Amino acid sequence: MSKGVAITGMGIISAIGNNVAENYDALIQEKKGISRISKIDTIHKDAIMVGEIDTTNEQFFKQLNLPEDNNYGRSALLGVAAAKEAVAHANIKDIVKYSTGLISATSVGGMDMTEQYYYKYLEDESLQKYIEGHHAGDSTQKIAQELGIEKSLVTTISTACSSAANAILMGARLIKSGKLDRVVVGGTDCLSKFTINGFKTLMILSDTYNTPFDENRKGLNLGEAAAYLVLESDAVVKAENKKVLAYVKGYGNANDAFHQTASSENGDGATLAMEKALKVAGMEPRDIDYVNAHGTATGNNDLSEGRALIRVFGEDLPEFSSTKAYTGHTLAAAGAIEAVYSVLALQHNIIFPNLNFNSQMKEFHITPQTQLKQKELHTVLSNSLGFGGNCSTLIFSKEA
Amino acid sequence: MSSNHYIQAFVHIKNETVSLHGNTLLAAPKTDFSTFSKTAYKELGTKYPKFFKMDRLSKLAFLAADVLLKNDKDPQENTAIVLSNRASSLDTDMKHQNTIADAANYYPSPAVFVYTLPNICIGEISIKHKLFSENSFFIFDRFNANYLFDYAESLLKTKKASKVLCGWVEVDAGNYEAFLYLVSDTGAIKHTIKEITRLYKL
Repeated sequence: MSKGVAITGMGIISAIGNNVAENYDALIQEKKGISRISKIDTIHKDAIMVGEIDTTNEQFFKQLNLPEDNNYGRSALLGVAAAKEAVAHANIKDIVKYSTGLISATSVGGMDMTEQYYYKYLEDESLQKYIEGHHAGDSTQKIAQELGIEKSLVTTISTACSSAANAILMGARLIKSGKLDRVVVGGTDCLSKFTINGFKTLMILSDTYNTPFDENRKGLNLGEAAAYLVLESDAVVKAENKKVLAYVKGYGNANDAFHQTASSENGDGATLAMEKALKVAGMEPRDIDYVNAHGTATGNNDLSEGRALIRVFGEDLPEFSSTKAYTGHTLAAAGAIEAVYSVLALQHNIIFPNLNFNSQMKEFHITPQTQLKQKELHTVLSNSLGFGGNCSTLIFSKEA
Repeated sequence: MSSNHYIQAFVHIKNETVSLHGNTLLAAPKTDFSTFSKTAYKELGTKYPKFFKMDRLSKLAFLAADVLLKNDKDPQENTAIVLSNRASSLDTDMKHQNTIADAANYYPSPAVFVYTLPNICIGEISIKHKLFSENSFFIFDRFNANYLFDYAESLLKTKKASKVLCGWVEVDAGNYEAFLYLVSDTGAIKHTIKEITRLYKL
């Protein structure tokens, strides 16, 4: 039974950078990745803003050495790019030397190709290859193949916006219980009409830059991204003399028992998730040095999450901020994106600002951290709250 | 796997009849599920207006769970829910498909769409009874007492739950059948695969 769950590698691609270093630079230079949409031809293009990655699918084919006739959708492309960076960063030369799994989260899967070609499938045989790529598990399988672990424990989690947090949670449990020595965990989601139209119908897309925890917030910006972390057991860390970036110290997942889509007004699920994570970590609220909030900038989330923060932390609430103003809400990838940012915060002892904040919410008195701040950090708590009340919290720490 | 747990209570809903522990609570005249579910809602005193927006599978699971949970003298917040069936949410999937099949009359309804997953019925039970607990929905070829037994025992033995609401809820092509049972520390019937199978067949 392994006690520590060490993070030994990270990879990320988002609207603010193609790798960990670029993401960190953008975070500290306060450069957002939000713009008008360019890669999807949608009737909503003038009504929404998104966090889009510049690289085209064709550029990814070259970068990843994929054959011309591949059937990759964009989620799989982003996923492979980020997962490969994570494995390289962890300095893994022989991935099958230890039993290594992959838990990947996605909500879009191959929907981007399905929505482009659905009506052509019956007539155009050359497009039928994308049917196989539609389901969520296909992107995971492609990543596993590219990493050379397709015969290992490979699975997909799709629990809306808490998906990647749950992938990390499940990976951490597999390491703790000794089922795996090493596991690549994270998530990937590309932009698609499916998500744009779905969120548009829910009337929670902002027509301008998203403003987390602001009284006048107008909703979220969707973003595309992928991020993966390499988790390793104490035994592997010791045997390979690995440099540990941080530890997954606590995790909690709870059901909000409120509504199929909305979060409860008082943040019941988020409160439970944070309490469970603190319990697993053996920590008190005052032990947390920074909270990377889910903070999607929707009316419902920020009120519900803010109330949950007050319920859990009371007077002990440390600095908190949402990084969604940088990247947009990257859905199933969000928990992994923010896990990478939480580890970067720990490594550099820095709190990333909650951009675009202007007016205090009137329902409560807590205010996000709006300036970049140096602070000695030992622990970061990160929330990922999903539709349907699937709420997850992760706690990262410098020390085991 | 041996068990120190008991089947505290069980309910059947089929053939226009609701029975608790094998005793008939309600026997309605032969009719379709929509009419029967309205009768059952009224006769069982279910006061919960959200009931009427649910799909058939959720209505069935909800009614059965409500009978069990409201008669439970020792309700536990940490009651897990493990349900199963054969047809998943096909009944509602087809209803949804019919709203998008005709390009000239294309109108998908979000109110229908949200029910195109079988585990939504677990959500409806959780929302009504404020259960923030573990839950899962499995699709099997037929009623699978072994699997439900193992799953419930594991939840109880690892202290993930203090009670487990288990069973079968099926709505398919006009047919419906629910058999739910509550596993806990107390009761008259031992929690065994044999007993689960016997009660299911009642």
